Amino acid sequence: MPPLLAVEKLEAGYGPINVLHGISLTVEPGEIVAMIGANGAGKTTTLMCLSGVVKARGGRVVFDGRDLTAEKVPAHQVVRLGLAQSPEGRKIFPRLTVLENLQMGAFTRTDADGVAADVEKAFTMFPILRERQHQAGGLLSGGQQQMLAIARALMSRPKLLLLDEPSLGLAPQIVVQIFDVIRELNRQGMSVLLVEQNARMALKVAHRGYVLETGRVTFSDRAAALLDDPRIRAAYLGE
Amino acid sequence: MTPLLAADPAAAFGQFLLIGLVSGLLYALIALGYTMVYGIVELINFAHGDLFMLGCLLSLEVCLLVGARTQAEAGTAAGVAAVALMLVAAPVFCAALNIAVDRAVYRPLRTAPKLAPLVSAIGVSFVFMGVGLFWKGATDVTFPDLLGPPIPPDAVNAAPPVPANLLEGTGLRFTFKDLMVVLVTIPTMAALTVFVRYTTLGKAMRATAQNPTAAQLMGINVDRVIAATFAIGGALAGVGSVVYSLYFNTVNYQMGFQNGVYAFTAAVLGGIGNIPGAVLGGIVIGVVKTLGGAYIGSEWSEALIFAILVVILIFRPNGLLGARTREKV
Repeated sequence: MPPLLAVEKLEAGYGPINVLHGISLTVEPGEIVAMIGANGAGKTTTLMCLSGVVKARGGRVVFDGRDLTAEKVPAHQVVRLGLAQSPEGRKIFPRLTVLENLQMGAFTRTDADGVAADVEKAFTMFPILRERQHQAGGLLSGGQQQMLAIARALMSRPKLLLLDEPSLGLAPQIVVQIFDVIRELNRQGMSVLLVEQNARMALKVAHRGYVLETGRVTFSDRAAALLDDPRIRAAYLGE
Repeated sequence: MTPLLAADPAAAFGQFLLIGLVSGLLYALIALGYTMVYGIVELINFAHGDLFMLGCLLSLEVCLLVGARTQAEAGTAAGVAAVALMLVAAPVFCAALNIAVDRAVYRPLRTAPKLAPLVSAIGVSFVFMGVGLFWKGATDVTFPDLLGPPIPPDAVNAAPPVPANLLEGTGLRFTFKDLMVVLVTIPTMAALTVFVRYTTLGKAMRATAQNPTAAQLMGINVDRVIAATFAIGGALAGVGSVVYSLYFNTVNYQMGFQNGVYAFTAAVLGGIGNIPGAVLGGIVIGVVKTLGGAYIGSEWSEALIFAILVVILIFRPNGLLGARTREKV
């Protein structure tokens, strides 16, 4: 079976600055893949490039058999192909209600019944969102916003979920809750590309991992092997 | 101008308030175009007032084409046809023109520093004024009073009849033209509110305004949403131009500037980017302008408007209904 996502020698940047200097990675169907690395390593840029928001300057992104870079698929079409993202900083629509935020996640869909059923599923997964469905998204706590961001991304029924820093700024027990959700989604068959600074949490939940340093992949292995690697332990796990 | 009802100060005040409200509704309609575009692309579209002016000139052209040239056609088939036709033609024309300008001028500058599209908007304003000057010349042009009282054919040289007062006996004067302003502007604004609140495109507009990157990640075509915003803002200016022309019965190529400044001020006063704020701001400006003109002197009414704007912005920098600029993330 070909990989669900294959990134080959991806290059991208902003203005005169190149951030990615040839990133290569794959995500197999049903896998959780973690991408770890320090601030500025290019993790978020990689995800934004996959979503088409940042344009690739070189290399290829092949998703589900479609070459997104060669076809120049615009950002708003990427979701339709089955690639959804819960972005860094959550980027909730602050003055839309929780329910409207979820409906925006299903913007590309036309099956109103299916959308309603998926809203119900989201509320079952995150009961707090049901309670607060008519409140403005900007009024939720950080953890609730993260849940909303994940639920919103799932509303497009993606084949691959990109998660950017889901633990950022959250209390430890909320982080545990979020990672339980990621594990559960994966158990139900969702493929996940997870970007995290919390390397230990990410590698514990993931099947495989990539380590990024200044726009390059420096290590890649099974997650368990990375957790045991003394170099990774020293640089990213604080040991 | 109606004779002042100086005999009864309370009635006079009520009358000025009523005039202020009606003209405020007109400013509100134009202000909505500023506020919607600003809300979504953070551009003060300085050409918006002049788009309104071109809508007025087009409405006049429609009158001439249909053969409704003077007040004599008020109430006739030609007069009714002219009003109906301009209510379609002006919004469509202004919407199409606004989309075209966005596509040709603002969209290529979307990622440029904010000053670039702003200065370009001023440029478009001058181009529109040039078109207006070329189209109808430099002097005031009379717009047929198609909603005024019909003139009997045997009274061509007599003074025009006085329009009927719909509030006869209350001490207030409210004519059919005042009613027309209310009947066009309020349903238009109500429709806009419903559209923005409840339709998918309306929600996509709000989402794009609040976070364009996240909107892209939802699969929203941001360029299309922006084009739709320019279309709606333009259509509102078109509706406003028809109402204004039929109400004030004079058009010229410079009218866009002053009305644009009032409407822009209304949008800022209410909280730029905020739709109910623009309506509130428009009404406040209309009322202040009329009351100021009546009780302080019309030469002071503009100074008064901007003095109030300054005071409000000192205490509420985001306008009367404006959202806080920083949201919790």
